[in-house]
Amino acid sequence: MNHKLPGTFQALEKFVDDWALATQNERQRRRAACTPDELLKFYNAMLPRLEKALSYLNGLKLGSLPDPARRLLYLTLSFAEVAMFAECYEGKPQVPNSFEETRFVAVGGDRVG
Amino acid sequence: MASAVFDLNRRWSSQDFPELGAAPVPTEPCISTEYFELEKNRVFQRVWLYVGREEEIKKPGDYIVRDLPAMNTSLIIVRGSDGVVRSFHNICSHRGNKLAWDKCGSCRSFSCKFHSWTYDLKGALIGVPDEKMFADFRRSEHGLVPVAAQTWEGFIFVNADLKPAQTLGEYLGDLGRRLAGFPYAEMTATYAYETELKCNWKVALDAFSEAYHVNTVHGRSYPETFTGKNNKQCHLPEVRLYGPHRSAVIYGNPNHQPSPAAAVAYLFGESVTKRTSNLDELPPQVNPTRSPEFAFDLNVIFPNLILHILPGTWFTHQFWPISVDRTLWEGRAYWRPAKNAGERFAQEFNNCVLRNAWLEDTGTMEATQQALSSQVKTHFVLQEQEVLIRHSYKVLEDYVQFYHRSPPSKAHRKVR
Repeated sequence: MNHKLPGTFQALEKFVDDWALATQNERQRRRAACTPDELLKFYNAMLPRLEKALSYLNGLKLGSLPDPARRLLYLTLSFAEVAMFAECYEGKPQVPNSFEETRFVAVGGDRVG
Repeated sequence: MASAVFDLNRRWSSQDFPELGAAPVPTEPCISTEYFELEKNRVFQRVWLYVGREEEIKKPGDYIVRDLPAMNTSLIIVRGSDGVVRSFHNICSHRGNKLAWDKCGSCRSFSCKFHSWTYDLKGALIGVPDEKMFADFRRSEHGLVPVAAQTWEGFIFVNADLKPAQTLGEYLGDLGRRLAGFPYAEMTATYAYETELKCNWKVALDAFSEAYHVNTVHGRSYPETFTGKNNKQCHLPEVRLYGPHRSAVIYGNPNHQPSPAAAVAYLFGESVTKRTSNLDELPPQVNPTRSPEFAFDLNVIFPNLILHILPGTWFTHQFWPISVDRTLWEGRAYWRPAKNAGERFAQEFNNCVLRNAWLEDTGTMEATQQALSSQVKTHFVLQEQEVLIRHSYKVLEDYVQFYHRSPPSKAHRKVR
């Protein structure tokens, strides 16, 4: 059977379709569109595995990750996207009392990786 | 508990810079279209303005285009075959069409899309179709109109005044010396946001020029990060003025407890909130005692650039006036290119951290502008810790008054 993620991280497979996203813009849009419940579920599943995941990925060459490792990297980058929302804003997917986020243009937000 | 090296309760305005006054500051410069025109003519068309990094145009022929309403022009900034960075008004000499249309690119020459007049990288006119049909025509008289361009530490500045009163080095003066030597050029991984704000450029600049707002605006996002037991109000550990420029140290809590995600990011890379990075990366004059109560060094390079440096990263805000109540804001952060996934993760985490802070910072600006335009309130009330704002309006007014006596040179606009 083909696994979407490297062997020891298969507990995270159910998040791959929603959160293994290749660009900052996609990750940001996904976060902005999710519910607090979804956001916290993803955060809580990732956090205890994050250090191990990054240590594992550090053993590989960043520029030429095999597909399962690349998906794992994208999951960690999506975690980076949601972390503050889980930790500071109770899972709400928008920054409270802030500027209209859709008007903030990420220069290079469509870069893959 | 006092700070080991900083006076965290210093009354900066009255103790150190009484010459800036203590009165409330008029809001008129933020809402007056007349004042806006004066700023354009007497500030933005006179002084050195930051337009890009040398790394953006590494090779001969690499160019960037900046559309700058504040200078009433669009500029090409290009590296020549001789390696020299030059800038030109982005206007074909024939009938005034815009020459370069892409935001950046690489070319051997610039060719106008209207009648194919062609210019080399030094701005000389090198090709005119059907040239013999122009009477008494000398190509040498129709090159691109240059703009003064100079570099400092890899930062490219331009000056619309072809014979600037000061070199860039003189203009930056002691602030340039203070900030020199930081490894800017090593940090090329760029994370940037931009937006058009419906506010005056100074409303945006002011909001990023003080730390009094940190508890209110960023309290949720940065608990006890830039405040601490001995500095509950985010007082400035240091303020210095450098002619038209200004700088402050932003306090960092050395005992700050990172969030669970931040703690992992700290393990794998640099971070804007980490307090254990190598302070010796800073130039000698920045945080000279290498105090751990240091978050970052904030520098306003007059008129429209804020340059922050801290170990492992630097970031900027730039504010480009479009009209009296419209501003292009650009926020950019720079890191050493990630060598592995852990560093990449730390950078992405920091990108989100900075973006969220900037979303909070920009959140007040448009409402402020609307309120100011009502003129119900006609003055800003500034406290001792908001001294950089006081300095900003004073310098601006000095420029506007000074150039009132000396009309701008239009020499470069004449056909030579």
